[in-house]
Amino acid sequence: MPDASFVFAQSLSGLTAAMFLFLIASGLSLIFGVLRVLNFAHGTFYMLGAYLAYQSMLWLGPGPGRFWLAALGAALGIALLGGVVERVLFRHLYGKEELYQLLFTYALGLILSDAAKIFWGTQQKSVSRPPELSGSFTLFGATIPQYNLFIIMLGPAIALAFWFVLQRTRAGRFIRAAALDRETLGALGVNVDRLYTGVFMLASFLGGLGGALISPMRATTPGMDTEVIVEAFVVVVIGGLGSLWGTFLGAVVYGQVLSFGILFFPRFSIFAVFALMAAVLIIRPWGLLGRPLR
Amino acid sequence: MTLRGLAALVVFAAALAVPALGSRFYTFLANDVIIWALFATSLNLLVGYTGLVSFGHAAYFGVGAYVTGILMKKLALPFVLAWPAAGVFGAACALLFGFFCVRLTRIYFAMLTLAFAQIVWAICFKWNELTGGEQGMPEIPYPDFGWLERLGASVPLLGWRTAEYFYFLTVVLVAVCLWVLHRIVTSPFGRMLTTIRENAERAEFIGVNVRRYELAAFVLAGAFAGLAGGLFGIFNRGVFPDFAYWTKSSEVLIMTLLGGMGTFFGPSIGALVLILLNQQIVSYTEYWPLVLGTVLVVLLFGFPGGIAGAIGALSGRVFRRVRSA
Amino acid sequence: MLHVFTLFLAVVLALPLVAEAQKPIKVGMPMPLSGPPALFGEPASKGAQMFVEELNAKGGVLGRKVELLIRDSKADANEAVRVARELILKENVDFLVGTLTSAEGPAVSVVAKENKIVFIAPIPKTDQLTAPDKLHPYVFRVAATTTMEGRSAAEIVAKWPVTKVATISFDYAYGQDVTKAFIEHLKKIKPSVEIVDQQWPKLGEQDYNPFINAQMAKKPEAIFSSIWGGFFVTYSKQAKALGVFDAIKYNFIGVGEAATPETTKSMGADYPVGIWGNSYDAFYWGETAAHRDYTARLSKYLKDEYPSSWAVQGYIGMQFLTEAIKKANSADSDKVAKALLGLAVETPVGPLTIREKDHQANRGQLYGKTVKDPKYPFAIMKPVTYVDPSKFMD
Repeated sequence: MPDASFVFAQSLSGLTAAMFLFLIASGLSLIFGVLRVLNFAHGTFYMLGAYLAYQSMLWLGPGPGRFWLAALGAALGIALLGGVVERVLFRHLYGKEELYQLLFTYALGLILSDAAKIFWGTQQKSVSRPPELSGSFTLFGATIPQYNLFIIMLGPAIALAFWFVLQRTRAGRFIRAAALDRETLGALGVNVDRLYTGVFMLASFLGGLGGALISPMRATTPGMDTEVIVEAFVVVVIGGLGSLWGTFLGAVVYGQVLSFGILFFPRFSIFAVFALMAAVLIIRPWGLLGRPLR
Repeated sequence: MTLRGLAALVVFAAALAVPALGSRFYTFLANDVIIWALFATSLNLLVGYTGLVSFGHAAYFGVGAYVTGILMKKLALPFVLAWPAAGVFGAACALLFGFFCVRLTRIYFAMLTLAFAQIVWAICFKWNELTGGEQGMPEIPYPDFGWLERLGASVPLLGWRTAEYFYFLTVVLVAVCLWVLHRIVTSPFGRMLTTIRENAERAEFIGVNVRRYELAAFVLAGAFAGLAGGLFGIFNRGVFPDFAYWTKSSEVLIMTLLGGMGTFFGPSIGALVLILLNQQIVSYTEYWPLVLGTVLVVLLFGFPGGIAGAIGALSGRVFRRVRSA
Repeated sequence: MLHVFTLFLAVVLALPLVAEAQKPIKVGMPMPLSGPPALFGEPASKGAQMFVEELNAKGGVLGRKVELLIRDSKADANEAVRVARELILKENVDFLVGTLTSAEGPAVSVVAKENKIVFIAPIPKTDQLTAPDKLHPYVFRVAATTTMEGRSAAEIVAKWPVTKVATISFDYAYGQDVTKAFIEHLKKIKPSVEIVDQQWPKLGEQDYNPFINAQMAKKPEAIFSSIWGGFFVTYSKQAKALGVFDAIKYNFIGVGEAATPETTKSMGADYPVGIWGNSYDAFYWGETAAHRDYTARLSKYLKDEYPSSWAVQGYIGMQFLTEAIKKANSADSDKVAKALLGLAVETPVGPLTIREKDHQANRGQLYGKTVKDPKYPFAIMKPVTYVDPSKFMD
């Protein structure tokens, strides 16, 4: 029988993984909610975020707080990239068949990830944990790295900020309206084009931030994009496509299933995650907290 | 015989003649293209004809490959039993998964097909005892061509190797499968699928059980994908879990769209072009995804009807010009 | 006039012969050049490339140049089979030297067998590659095997003052085989040892936290890991954050080359200095003049002050092939395959021999405890010992 401190440690590991995934999946969910597109390139934005953070660390050189600057810079860089892609290319596919939009995001992912390979090569890049949070402490007999705790707290903070923007600001109201009815919003004189660019940039920002923040925990390598995108899909589907709190819940469920799955069926925990996704889709296709689409 | 039927016959004859070129590589390439053509055409039954976008078609391809592989390698069953079994298992899985999938629409449908495919992949990847796990199952035997080889010993023109015999077998079997698929899409059943794609509500209104039709299409597509997988495992000299991974599903989807999902032979053209392009590119650069991505973007903005659509439009224009002149 | 014509005729007639003699010997190399395994695959291919360039500068072998065709196998068995067949059918390569993972090696071995082409595996370690039921006349290995590696590690762990040992390995051929060899040998030489926990993440796992927690809950005193390549970087970053190395007092051994200079270099200050690890090579080893000379040339070739330890595997693979071609006096695969049996070669890491019995070279590895050395900006193994595997091979 596993003891309490182990269960505690295990659930915190699950939460850390969950909050990373939430950062990434929330962007995916936002784009889907507003633009009705599954953005396959989102995983690549995440990977580029990690690479940009690494690169910014090199440029900044040693100094206090440079990790945070690098992470923020990387996320902003990815937001900019997302904005440019949306303005120049993606825009022209609105109103076309979903399949074409999807294919475009897939192609974009292929191009960008190969571009990353040209710039950074195939050798892995490693970023150190920021010195401010490199320690760990013991709670209920479990060792908890400070950085993990930071991530666990960052997740809800971002979710709350997100919720606040959506519910309490003008832009947020427009975004929610755009998700429901684009034409009417345009007829009311709202610049829908700008709104879409903004949404795309915000989503890219979150993807890039996720990549930058994960780089101290994992090696940054080519191929990390194809792995994460499927995980992010699972999360948004479980929680409900386009639903903020659904994505949050989906991430938490995902993290816990993986964490505890290895105890009960060590070799089939990846199986469990997809089985859960299928079960949710069968029973409640719009996800745990989502709303059915028209 | 129609012009189209004649063209199909010519392609069939040309395919049979490939080994006569004397290059084992051309035969290898043609074999690859032909199997993928069947796989892509089976997907088109869903995407193009019924309007169901599946993200998980590789599941049935993978199941077929593993079924044929396991039956031939571990149970030493002959090809005549092991290959049809791939179709049967492909269809059975498609029936099981499809039953749930067709209840959903659009993006949810796509996501559920993806989830099921990933489940199949996870099983192949982790069930080491049955599937060989991550290492896959190398050394799937070729079908027994003993009698052909004995014949080849006495008839000098037939002195091919096993790989060539397997190629001929593939050409014939895929031709039969494509013929059956063509019969299906031109039958009243096939036309009903198109009606459903165009307007499911109207079909429902005139008393058609849309779900049942969609499920039938799903099962048929799964069966033919399974058959393609069964052939591919042998051709590839091994079966590996990434046959069922989501990237394989996207590859076959790209082939279908690249070739053009509006026509019956579009996906086959897509398979041909994509595989030949890949062959050419990888000799010069390791950045194949970059090239593929760029090709896709150009295609999307320039030729949304795919290659077959572009050729059709072009020939239509030329035809009109000739007529008006 | 007539003799000019005769001369001309003679030249024309002789041309095809000359062309035949000067046609390069083509060697195909499927090697992972992308993803985390590229950390090893890319330098290994560079080592082979350096060997070939040096050889060709000296006139090649049997008067023919050697041409190396490197293709990305993506560390994926399916892809490796595919590129191997393309290399054979399209490029008409005469030999195959390559593959990295223990999934790729056996899969490509089947292709070599079917096409009757010599295949030298420089890196895959799984015992299954040259197991009696898988062995065929064309497959050879100049890498260590899982048996050799597992037992070498067991010898080291047996000397530690610990009895509770845990293992963590990827759930596939290499991980399973090396862990089994380690445990069996350790229990034999130190029966008091108890295996308290075994974790099997999937190959390429990104999040090791749950596995680490589960393992540490069993309170091991020492850990054996075979998480390799770029994956070790991810694993050890997460393990360090969770205090694993402190908890087991650095009684940790990472096989699968966890102590290569390139791994310690890429991790810098994050590397868990104090653990034990192994490596195929290390530029700072410098045991023999031949090794020092090789390192100097490699350093120049790669334009890297601290050149990769993986290059040597590609180098040795090509070296064995070339020596066998010389010995056979032919580039015919059947003759070269026979020449490889029992072939002894002076390599940069010392003399190696391919056994007739199982086509396996007695390739040992460097083992050592990692320490900080003021001479280098990253950890090195010190003292570093070459463990000769000869006594572990059966």
